[in-house]
Amino acid sequence: MSLLDDVANLRREAVEKIKGADSADTLGRIKVRYLGRKGLLTAILRGLKDLPDDQRKAVGARANQIRAELEQQIAEAVTGLSTEKSASAFDPTLPGTAQQIGAMHIVSQVMNEICQTFYGMGFEIARGPDVETDYYNFESLNFPPDHPARDMQDTFFVEGGRLLRTHTTPVQTRELERRNPPIKIIAPGKTFRNEEISTRAHVAFHQVDGFLVDEGVTMSDLKGTLVAFCRAFFGEDTKLKFRPSFFPFTEPSAEVDITCFLCKGKGCQLCKFSGWLEILGCGMIHPNVLTTGGYDPEKYTGWAFGMGVERVAMLKYKINDIRLFFNNNIRFLRQFV
Amino acid sequence: MKVSYHWLKELTGLDWPVEEMAERLTLCGTACEDIVSTSRYLDRVVVGEVLELHPVPGADKIRRAVTAIGSENLDIICGAPNVAAGQKVPVALIGAKLDSGFEVKKVKIKGVTSCGMICSQAELGISDDHSGIWVLDDDATVGKPLAECLDYDDYILDFELTPDRADSMSAIGIARDLAALASVKIRYPSFDLEESAESAADHIQVSIADEEACPRFTARIIRDVTIGPSPWWLQKKLLSCGMRPISNVVDITNLVMLETGNPVHAFDLDRFGSDEVLVRRAVEGEKMTTLDGKEHTLTPDVLLITNGKEGKAAAGVMGGEDSEVSSETRNILLEVAYFSPSVIRKSRRHLGIISEASSRFEKGVDPNNVPGASARVAHLFHDVCGGSVLKGVVDCYPKRIDPVTVSFRPDRCNKVLGTDIRPERMKQIFADLEFEVDGSDPMKVTAPTFRHDINLEIDLIEEVARVEGYDSIPDAQENIGPLFTPTHEEDVFEDEVRRMMTGAGFDEMISHGLVHSRQAAIIDSGLPYLKIVNPVSEDLDMMRNSLVHTGLIAVNHNVAHRNMDLRLFEIGKAYFPPDPDGLWLEDNRLMILVTGNSPASWRNASRPFDFYDVTGAIESMGEHFGWPSLRFEAETAPYYEEEVSFSIRCGDTEIGTIGQITETILKKFDIKQPVHIAELKISDLIKLSRDLSEFEPLPIYPAAPRDLALVVNETVQVGQVLERIRSVAGDMAETVDVFDYYKGKQIAEGMKSVGIAIVFRLKHRSLASQEIDKVQLDIIEMLQREFKAEIRTK
Ligand SMILES: [Zn+2]
Repeated sequence: MSLLDDVANLRREAVEKIKGADSADTLGRIKVRYLGRKGLLTAILRGLKDLPDDQRKAVGARANQIRAELEQQIAEAVTGLSTEKSASAFDPTLPGTAQQIGAMHIVSQVMNEICQTFYGMGFEIARGPDVETDYYNFESLNFPPDHPARDMQDTFFVEGGRLLRTHTTPVQTRELERRNPPIKIIAPGKTFRNEEISTRAHVAFHQVDGFLVDEGVTMSDLKGTLVAFCRAFFGEDTKLKFRPSFFPFTEPSAEVDITCFLCKGKGCQLCKFSGWLEILGCGMIHPNVLTTGGYDPEKYTGWAFGMGVERVAMLKYKINDIRLFFNNNIRFLRQFV
Repeated sequence: MKVSYHWLKELTGLDWPVEEMAERLTLCGTACEDIVSTSRYLDRVVVGEVLELHPVPGADKIRRAVTAIGSENLDIICGAPNVAAGQKVPVALIGAKLDSGFEVKKVKIKGVTSCGMICSQAELGISDDHSGIWVLDDDATVGKPLAECLDYDDYILDFELTPDRADSMSAIGIARDLAALASVKIRYPSFDLEESAESAADHIQVSIADEEACPRFTARIIRDVTIGPSPWWLQKKLLSCGMRPISNVVDITNLVMLETGNPVHAFDLDRFGSDEVLVRRAVEGEKMTTLDGKEHTLTPDVLLITNGKEGKAAAGVMGGEDSEVSSETRNILLEVAYFSPSVIRKSRRHLGIISEASSRFEKGVDPNNVPGASARVAHLFHDVCGGSVLKGVVDCYPKRIDPVTVSFRPDRCNKVLGTDIRPERMKQIFADLEFEVDGSDPMKVTAPTFRHDINLEIDLIEEVARVEGYDSIPDAQENIGPLFTPTHEEDVFEDEVRRMMTGAGFDEMISHGLVHSRQAAIIDSGLPYLKIVNPVSEDLDMMRNSLVHTGLIAVNHNVAHRNMDLRLFEIGKAYFPPDPDGLWLEDNRLMILVTGNSPASWRNASRPFDFYDVTGAIESMGEHFGWPSLRFEAETAPYYEEEVSFSIRCGDTEIGTIGQITETILKKFDIKQPVHIAELKISDLIKLSRDLSEFEPLPIYPAAPRDLALVVNETVQVGQVLERIRSVAGDMAETVDVFDYYKGKQIAEGMKSVGIAIVFRLKHRSLASQEIDKVQLDIIEMLQREFKAEIRTK
């Protein structure tokens, strides 16, 4: 077969396809296939230089003619398509009339997500009162009276000798008192601190505490559980760094950093160029706390952790002012519909 | 706590890069929060010599200093009063970047071009001293870069310490952690103390009246010191720990405190007023002026160092003004002591002073290093200030504090950590921490008295973990615990309410729950409030006892930000003071509120939100949770408009209230549009909820819909009409609904028109049309009789 035949076949094929096309998209693809820079017809024109002179002229002329013809046909087909569509009077582009749905508060959403993740690992949800006794909030958690550790948590005291809990850890003592091992609890809730309100501190925030008490529980279990949680919550490639720290109710204690989920550890504004974000505190439950709760610390061991919900939300959504959580401005609330 | 990098290198002999040192300390529990280079503002700063000073015409506060910098002489405008010809000074050249981001540029002032800047210590980031330019030592080489000349290429490491680690409040303490990490020995500063023949004990006596409060007190006497500025090596050490040099004697006491962690106090012996020291509690009402010039009225909470008669220092907190070391001081009484942490804590609280000394004493210093610290200070007073140290230390130590020995089982350690660390390695770690170890299983471990935090086996387990590194503890791969995790009905219920309310277009709000007593007075419901004893500000001094209150605060905030159209709900607690039986009630509630207008669309026009948007939301939840039908009973609540104020009842239970907030209250919250609110008790709602008990077969007989249109007096309650129709129709009426409601034109004044759709159907057989007609007649008769209704049957 000669090249001229090839060109003719190509033309026939293209014309048929143009006729069959039912959208501008398809026509666009046809144009690229035949006339584009790497198109079939273009390829033939490129190959001309290898032909003898006479052939080159004939094929060249024919190919150029076909090119012009196809371009016109495609243009006509596109116009034809659009006039046909606008003929319909039905307009699907009007906004749908569904009821506007509301937004769950971002604190509820983050708290639910944390609790659900732990629920999936076998943790049961428990709650306690916001107005607590000194015993549950401090004493049972190994804060001796008048100990400097109490200064770490500025406390609101209320009339009647009670206080607003400074963490959800009191739930730990309450649950130790009324359950039997294995005890595997997640305790979400509101907590209070006597602090000046600023962009970084508020009189209240939400916390999720978790703890596990059983025979043979180790710090290795604690690490494994928190690694599993952080990967589920912040992403599969999250790495954790455990730094020794101090809490009266745990020993050994640790502060946990995760690799910054924004820069993946390379360093950015969010992580203050460290590549790490401080996300929670944890440790092995102090033997004194177990003893107070009625357990023999020789037989039973346990671990606990706690994290601030607003803090997690602030990091995750780059919220720069903690006051936004309690102002209830719907322009804020509705961003999390 | 700030410590210099070079100092830590000097104490440990380690030459780790600064970042590595900081990171490894952080990973063993001594968290380094910041690393600052001491020479960060010393780029393009050189030593200069002021050659001449010339007045600047038209400006009397500034002068032109012709300053040699080696290669050339610069004209520099200087405003510092202490500049003088012949001084060696730091000169920041054009382009130097100083503290607070200031960049030195060539500037023209009053016609004079200034080609640099003579700097204060503050401008160079050396200290916070900005009282005048920094005058350097005379032997500084003109033209040399300042950092090189000062040999001051160091880093300040800023540590955030945990409250249990009192020992880390010193350079040696932090170095000990480093030494343990690297398994090296600390290079303690060594010195020979030269003492004179005269004995200190002949010149000072010490007695302690309260041995619990002051278990140990030592005194030394140093004679003939020369007060003056410290040598640069000493200044540098203080500066690189963030402390400002004052004079040699004061600087030495600070240096030894930073080095050892033992606070040290120097009295001017000649102003001390006697040759005896008595440590006792202050008497109620006793007065003393501390060296910051403040007079304090004391109580027995304050422990005093007295001269037998009057207080000369608040022990462990701050010295007294009248025995303070001054430029005239010749002879010194040196105090190094150990005070009980809780006593110092109470004392500094009473005095309202937190000092470097008090923050160390209240965490616990090393009682057994007291003589060591005293000797170190005395040695430096001799070396640096030329003093002669009287022989011996007067050591009053009535309450010996011995190191604690703790039993340690290596196997237990591995069981708690989930590790496989060899016992020999554990032994090594203890030895590296300067603990004494005896035996092998269990080991008898004795921690030195600088480690007050080691009392239990678990404390030793933590030492092993943090020195070995938490990284070496494997991450468990298995989950332990129960097979099944139950859920709780409150959690499930609240979660469902959130989903339903948001599905219905309501946004969830959350309040912190603290309110202002001023605002509380506005919506006083007569119920008591739980008061906060120590409010952070007067603004938030009680807990809410209703979610209505915080709902209005949210409306107030939104309308102030021009968000006028709101549908909000909150699930949260109302708080109450204990009842007479001592029961504390926290009542979990659901608040629903609407205000403003519904969203407009091309199909539906906007309309004001009202009462029925609230009841509608409640009723759809009622349908979902299977609550029996709700009734609204008129009941006056102080914050609802009288006309629109109801209790919500379900059977015999009052489950909440609903109403329209009074205009008076709205005005006080700056709200100019109606607000409708309902507040429901979650515990009651949960009790009323029930699951579908049995499925109902689908209807097989045909339905007969009939509509009734009636005109009744506007005071007739439609709910009652529907209820009566249902009762007359009995099981024949499948549904009874309102399809139309109208007041206004074509209807007489005081009347309303209601359209009611009834669907007749029986479950077990079909209905004949005569039967339906009969019931319909009964219904009409009832409506006419009981509600004086005018019927317009279609
Ligand atoms: Zn980052």
